[in-house]
Amino acid sequence: MGRKILLIEDDRETASYLAKGLTQEGHCIDEAHNGQDGLFRATDGSFDLIILDRMLPGLDGLSVLRALRAAHIETPVLVLSALASVGDRIEGLECGSDDYLVKPFSFAELLARVNALLRRREARIDPAQHRLTVGDLEIEPLSRTVKRGGKKLDLKPREYLLLEYFARNEGRVVTRTMLLEQVWDYHFDPGTNVIDVHVSRLRRKLDEGYEKPLLHTVRGAGYMLAA
Amino acid sequence: MPTTLRIALLAGLLALISNLAVIGFIYFRTNDQAVATVHQQVVEQGKVLADVYRSGGAIALDDAIEDTITYADPQTMIALVSATGQQIKGNVDPSSSTALPRLEGYQHALVRLSGQTTPHESALIAHRLPTGQWLFSGRLAGEGFALRETLERSLLIALVVAGLLGLCCGLILANYVGRRVGEIASVANRISGRDLSQRVPLSGTGDAFDRLGIQINAMLDRITGLMGELRLLTDSLAHDLRSPVSRLRSAAQAAAETSDPVEQEEKLGSVVRQADALIRILSAVLEISRSEALTGRNQFAWFDVGELAAELTEMYDPLVEERGAVLEFARPARTVPLFGHRQLLAQAISNLVENAIRYGAGGGNIRIGVTPGEREIQVEVSDNGPGIPAERREEARRRFGRLDSSRSEEGAGLGLALAESIAHLHQGKLLLDDNAPGLRTVLRLPVVPGDTADRLVGRVARPVPIPR
Repeated sequence: MGRKILLIEDDRETASYLAKGLTQEGHCIDEAHNGQDGLFRATDGSFDLIILDRMLPGLDGLSVLRALRAAHIETPVLVLSALASVGDRIEGLECGSDDYLVKPFSFAELLARVNALLRRREARIDPAQHRLTVGDLEIEPLSRTVKRGGKKLDLKPREYLLLEYFARNEGRVVTRTMLLEQVWDYHFDPGTNVIDVHVSRLRRKLDEGYEKPLLHTVRGAGYMLAA
Repeated sequence: MPTTLRIALLAGLLALISNLAVIGFIYFRTNDQAVATVHQQVVEQGKVLADVYRSGGAIALDDAIEDTITYADPQTMIALVSATGQQIKGNVDPSSSTALPRLEGYQHALVRLSGQTTPHESALIAHRLPTGQWLFSGRLAGEGFALRETLERSLLIALVVAGLLGLCCGLILANYVGRRVGEIASVANRISGRDLSQRVPLSGTGDAFDRLGIQINAMLDRITGLMGELRLLTDSLAHDLRSPVSRLRSAAQAAAETSDPVEQEEKLGSVVRQADALIRILSAVLEISRSEALTGRNQFAWFDVGELAAELTEMYDPLVEERGAVLEFARPARTVPLFGHRQLLAQAISNLVENAIRYGAGGGNIRIGVTPGEREIQVEVSDNGPGIPAERREEARRRFGRLDSSRSEEGAGLGLALAESIAHLHQGKLLLDDNAPGLRTVLRLPVVPGDTADRLVGRVARPVPIPR
């Protein structure tokens, strides 16, 4: 399950910390420390994912990203940035990045997003996703129906979207911020536990009355759907 | 004061040049006139005598000369001179008669009349008679030429006086200008020396200097205001970060001191939570200053406020329910298009809702309302909690203006300030009102912010509201 990841980050300390962590997860990391070098290495298109710092000496991150997309290199890109405002995040996403993570972040958050992006790339390669199954849970994306152990679950539209997102990231940690961004499409940080309330509602409908829970809480990181 | 001196010299020079022009004009006009008058008189007199000679011969001329000497004014000169220069008849001193120029026509010469001690410049006309004698008739040009001399002298004096006066005026003017400019400069100087309370004194006449002063004072007021705001912000930031940072510190210390792995993990989790709370405060402060600086306008687009409010209602409904309250929202029948920043407005509304949940959920009902309008849209969030008394509402909307003194983890007192700055980004307002009982917060937003409307012409057509 090791993947080739290009890490374009000028801060050596951050770069080696991230590279070490990702290597431990079984990925193969290639490092570049400035924009030009990063762009040059990225253009061969052999990477599964690019982690790109937004503020780089010489050629800045967003310019690298634009150049890549202009050259039709569709490798998923995760942008890292200290620019935290909502406007900055949206600008980053509009430039063609697949995800945007604000510094400082926890390694768990980064890993969750890296895995989600790698997973999405797999899903893109295999588009015949007519049915998602996790243990005895079955999801039909086309009709938006959910069955557990053959019994139909009655979910509200947002609950369905939450569950589908969890299912598409089966076995991987999903953070609260990822849920807010991917399921609700909001890019601000709510000051309340609003996401947890939604997840616990979903969990009640999903796991109550079943012997084996599917939706797990991962301490200090988020949630995970796994059989 | 080299500038003052330069201005004075310039003013003096200008006065001198303009006076020179005027005086020169007067001089030439007057001089021409005087000479022309004498010339005309002399020519006329000469013509009369020539006529007399032609009609009456030498005897009539003799009489005419006699008459002229007797009756004409003392400025008149007349002489009949022999070919050798002897005066036969006339009022010219014999010593001077030989010196008369024997040349036909009008000319100027020095003539001494009999009984006079000095010769005077005269204009005369000479005519040679057929007998070989010369007839001179003319006028001592004394009055005319004296006038010219007087004029020359007085004009010279006038010129000197004008030059001196110009210099004086210049000095006074330069001094005045220098003083007014100096006042402004010294204020600017003291301001550079860090005393921002200085203001330019105004003369009250409303002249250009006053206008300059008013502008500078207005600029200083604005700078002082901004500095005050900045100081308040950094002060309260430093103050408000103090408690989360110290909590973070003690949590980290506690985690370090624990040997039990389970407890340690729990305490480390608390460290992370405290750090996250800090980051949240910093992001909010950043977002506020971003919005106040009006960045993010380039991300404005049309969207349906009704749909956004419905989405947020759906998002917060479970949380409100969990707190034992009810979240109400009546979606407008039509779409409510607004040209703005959807993400930031979502954040503003969610701040208002979270505020209501945090402080007003005890009251039972939280209501979200969207009121469409032709030019302005109102988004309101109201609760039936304790509300905020009128005199404390200004304080509540200030950054870090949290009214309860508790320093709980939840909320840094930036919610309302952030909502207000996002309203400002949209050229709108945040109103705090009494909901009797409770608090009613209203975002008043123009459908299209006035200063972005121009840019939009021909770029983004306003969507037609459609019934849902």
